[in-house]
Amino acid sequence: MAAPLYTTASGLLFHAGKILILTVGLPARGKTHMSRALERYLRWMGIKTQVVSLGDYRRKTLGGAQKLPPDYFAVGEKSPETMRLRQTVSDGCEQLIWDFFMSGGQVVIYDANNGTRKARQSLAEKFDKEGIHVIMLESWCENNEIVESNIRNVKISSPDYRGWDPDKAVADYYERIRIREQAYETVEETTWPFIRIINVGEKIMVNKIRGYLQSRIVFFLMNIHNRFRMIYFARSGQSLIEHSYKADSDLSPAGWEYSERLKEFVTERRNNALEQRGYNPSERRLVIWTSTRRRAHHSAWPFLSTSKQEALLPSSPGYTSSPLSNVTSELPSESGTGPSGTPSRVPGDITHGRPQNAPGAPAMGRTFSETSVATVSTVDGSRSNVKVVEKPQMSEINPGVWDGLTPEQARKFYSEEWNRFVKDPYAFRAPRAESYHDLCVRLEPVLIELEREKEDLLIIGHSSVIRCLLAYLIGLPASEIPAIEIARGDLLEVVPTSYGVHTQAFHFWDGPGRRGDQLDGTESPSLTDTKGASADGEAVHSRKTRDESNFYENWAEDTQGKKTHSIHELGMVGHGENPRDSLEHV
Amino acid sequence: MDQQSTRDLRADVSKILGVLDDMQDNVDGVLDSSIAADRANPPVVFGAGGPMLKMFDESTQSSRKGSQAPTPPRSVVGIGNKVAKPDYSEAKIVVAMVGLPARGKSFLSNKLMRYLKWLEYDVEVFNVGQLRRARARQKAQQSGIKEDHTATYFSHENAEATKIRDQLATDSLEMLIQWLRKGGNVGIHDATNSTINRRSKISARVAQERGIEVIFLESVCNDPAVIAANVALKVSSGDPDYSGLPREEAKRDFLTRIRQYESVYETITEPHLSYLRITDVGNEVTLSHINGYLQSRIAFYLMNLHVKPRSIFFSRHGESQYNVLGRIGGDSPLSPRGEQYAKALPDLVRDNIGDAPLTVWTSTLQRTIQTAGGLNYTQLTWKSLDELDAGVCDGMTYEEIEQAYPEDFANRDEDKFNYRYRGGESYRDVVVRLEPVIMELERQENILIIGHQAILRCLYAYFHNLPQADLPYIKIPLHTVIKLTPKAYGCDEERYKVPINAVDTHRPKPKAAGLGLDAAPPPTARDYYGSKQ
Repeated sequence: MAAPLYTTASGLLFHAGKILILTVGLPARGKTHMSRALERYLRWMGIKTQVVSLGDYRRKTLGGAQKLPPDYFAVGEKSPETMRLRQTVSDGCEQLIWDFFMSGGQVVIYDANNGTRKARQSLAEKFDKEGIHVIMLESWCENNEIVESNIRNVKISSPDYRGWDPDKAVADYYERIRIREQAYETVEETTWPFIRIINVGEKIMVNKIRGYLQSRIVFFLMNIHNRFRMIYFARSGQSLIEHSYKADSDLSPAGWEYSERLKEFVTERRNNALEQRGYNPSERRLVIWTSTRRRAHHSAWPFLSTSKQEALLPSSPGYTSSPLSNVTSELPSESGTGPSGTPSRVPGDITHGRPQNAPGAPAMGRTFSETSVATVSTVDGSRSNVKVVEKPQMSEINPGVWDGLTPEQARKFYSEEWNRFVKDPYAFRAPRAESYHDLCVRLEPVLIELEREKEDLLIIGHSSVIRCLLAYLIGLPASEIPAIEIARGDLLEVVPTSYGVHTQAFHFWDGPGRRGDQLDGTESPSLTDTKGASADGEAVHSRKTRDESNFYENWAEDTQGKKTHSIHELGMVGHGENPRDSLEHV
Repeated sequence: MDQQSTRDLRADVSKILGVLDDMQDNVDGVLDSSIAADRANPPVVFGAGGPMLKMFDESTQSSRKGSQAPTPPRSVVGIGNKVAKPDYSEAKIVVAMVGLPARGKSFLSNKLMRYLKWLEYDVEVFNVGQLRRARARQKAQQSGIKEDHTATYFSHENAEATKIRDQLATDSLEMLIQWLRKGGNVGIHDATNSTINRRSKISARVAQERGIEVIFLESVCNDPAVIAANVALKVSSGDPDYSGLPREEAKRDFLTRIRQYESVYETITEPHLSYLRITDVGNEVTLSHINGYLQSRIAFYLMNLHVKPRSIFFSRHGESQYNVLGRIGGDSPLSPRGEQYAKALPDLVRDNIGDAPLTVWTSTLQRTIQTAGGLNYTQLTWKSLDELDAGVCDGMTYEEIEQAYPEDFANRDEDKFNYRYRGGESYRDVVVRLEPVIMELERQENILIIGHQAILRCLYAYFHNLPQADLPYIKIPLHTVIKLTPKAYGCDEERYKVPINAVDTHRPKPKAAGLGLDAAPPPTARDYYGSKQ
């Protein structure tokens, strides 16, 4: 329940008051990574949050390291000139912090070394006097590998070292750290609430952290990591009734085709992306998250079948019975490490005793067990582990009374609600429906799990759900969430980096249901081509197009002013190496 | 998929589309007349009560006949089905408690067990004290010799007793590991585990098991008042170790026992152990090497606990118009009797709580908001508190559902907790959705929740540690306020029935009389022998 449940006149949430988080730590200890991740999370929760970075401010006002006097980073006596410069920078940052609090901000994360007890103490007292809660957040690192990799990957690409030889830059940076180390005092004083993070989360010490928001911050920090991994997003396949939430219908034939194609493309693309970065794909596990809606977890089905052939011939003798079938799913499934070489899971058992197609046969079977594991052979014949997890929190946005209605029916029968929805699609909750805001609240536990996950992840989801998760990862404001376009047939690849994420979109499939077209595959006139389609409330949909996908869920696809990702048009699988352009969100 | 079958399916789909088209043609007319009549409870296009869902299911089924579509999962028809339990088989951990006597170890382990069981993990507490007492009782019954379990028994100079106690701790850990191997998820080893030596034995033993990890949970308490209260509770609650001893003497003996432990106690400093140290419940927390998913959940949960005295009040909304009509779900306003209840509620609450601060939580549905209308306290609206979504059956009566889908209806009674309405939720889904609410409830002080039947059943089951199978049959009648007061080993309960009649919405479990749980709350006293041992 993270996104705000309510708003207050002051704009402050969770009865937490104003909070100043002082980061403490030597350079290259991941302070900035933590600060940015926390800022993104708190903003997504609806809390007005700002990182004030001393380094950025210094670079902005004084320029790169080469423009500074030589004793700027030195310890001990400094020239009055340097002292004045340093004072200007820290005064400037303090002013930024005050400005943000004064303008209604709730949390400031002051990203600076704050390495001496004296400096921390006087800063904390200054803000504490004005009723601002101060929390120390120390990142302490005893592991030199972490430090070294941080310097190589992040620090020497900073503007301070533009044009430097990398090894020289590393040496210079180490010198900078060495100087700081002499004066550094770790947080031992228990005067202020503190969070000490040792070796990027290996150990966490928490002192006097009280209050909801504060404990959320700790929980969040407990869960983030900076191990390399890939996150993929794709929509579920087209279903038989796209516009009904309640009917929870099966995939259409095009939907099944789509999911086969999705599996091929994801496997191919991920293998390429991993190999490019020097990882061996067969050594990594792919975790797939879907919702409990049929259209979503059925779209993950091909990942669990050992091969296309076996999926088509489900009842060959000799297969172990599947935990996904209706009979055995109660049994706790073993982990996916069966005897090597033999598939430990064979999900193809469709008939299983009862004739599935007999009319009137009661559908009393069990659905998927919530987790299914399979050892599958990938396209190139290597074996890799795939695990599918169904999460009930990941169901699409509930359209409430608009379920099963076409847009023109909704406009006609609920004109007042419709107008309010169009004005504020993020916050408006149609009768019995969920607003995007409700959805964000529902997804918050998923977000934490997303941060935690260390394996590569594929989320096969609904557009509304992907919008919320993507907005979080990229750091988009809430109001833009309903307008993010996620077309069926695009695969989004998100790679977390230390200051944000790197996203790329790949287009891999064209077919029925790509963008709200008809089930039978005839392209419908795109709504976005029809000027003012939704704004003027006219029923511009022809009879032919009214079977359009659930308009509530697919709002962005039906409107203008949407946020579109650049899509890499790929003719064939395997052409993803040279994307034309990509977006870096920082 | 080969070309032939693709073509077949396309043909089949066009049949379905034909049906959908015909259905759509009727929708406008149906909606036109009925929305005007009942805006609060409009008809649903794909509801189980209407013809469209059935027509659609039939068309899907016939279109599938003969097609060779590679569609392993079964087709969807009807109004819902049972869902399997989430697979927790990969989660296996030992939580080994560390702490002096009377530091709240059993309190923490009980809380933790309740929380994890509620999330459907298989959890069991293996309490060494219980094992010791149970064995001594057995011995006494067989041989007639009553072992002396006063402080001398716990002295570390008493070599023989120390050996016995070590053996007990080892045996208890063995039982725990056997239980994990048989399919348990979280075994809590509730003992003092007070020395580095003992802890290293535990972690060496667990390291031999593949797939099982151990975390230590140390409870430190520096507040003399809290310790004194724990000691008093221990002495007055009928501990069989002290049966026959005057209270003062028992207390003196227990304090001696604590001092004996103190003399050898070593707080966790071992750098490589995975541990969590809680100082003065919620004041200060240290986490070290907490890596797994379940471990971090446990840590977050324990961080949110507090032990300040408070009460949690549950009330359903006043009787709604749908209650009167026997309909489920919907968003109908209160009936006249429901409105009376809403009027009576403020006095009842004030009489009970006086001037103490209270926060009222409601769902987003109007019947709860109306019920809370007269309450002059801070009110928060939670979407997560909305009633279980009955999907295609929303707005129908049980009779209508039974008539339209007789087989499916019986199916729900078979396993109600796991039954998910099509396009809606199961009780399990509701438990998942309520998890953040539980977390927030643990953090808060006095809270009144104006909720719904299924929601309150789930919350109530958490506080009373009731099993899943019974959860959907817990009696939460209308026009009744339930007051829960958390105690060390459970919750005390009081119920206040407001004398305003209301319909009974409880459906007992068919064929199994007596399963409906009555108001009798489970015992909150400490269990000294352990039912398992």
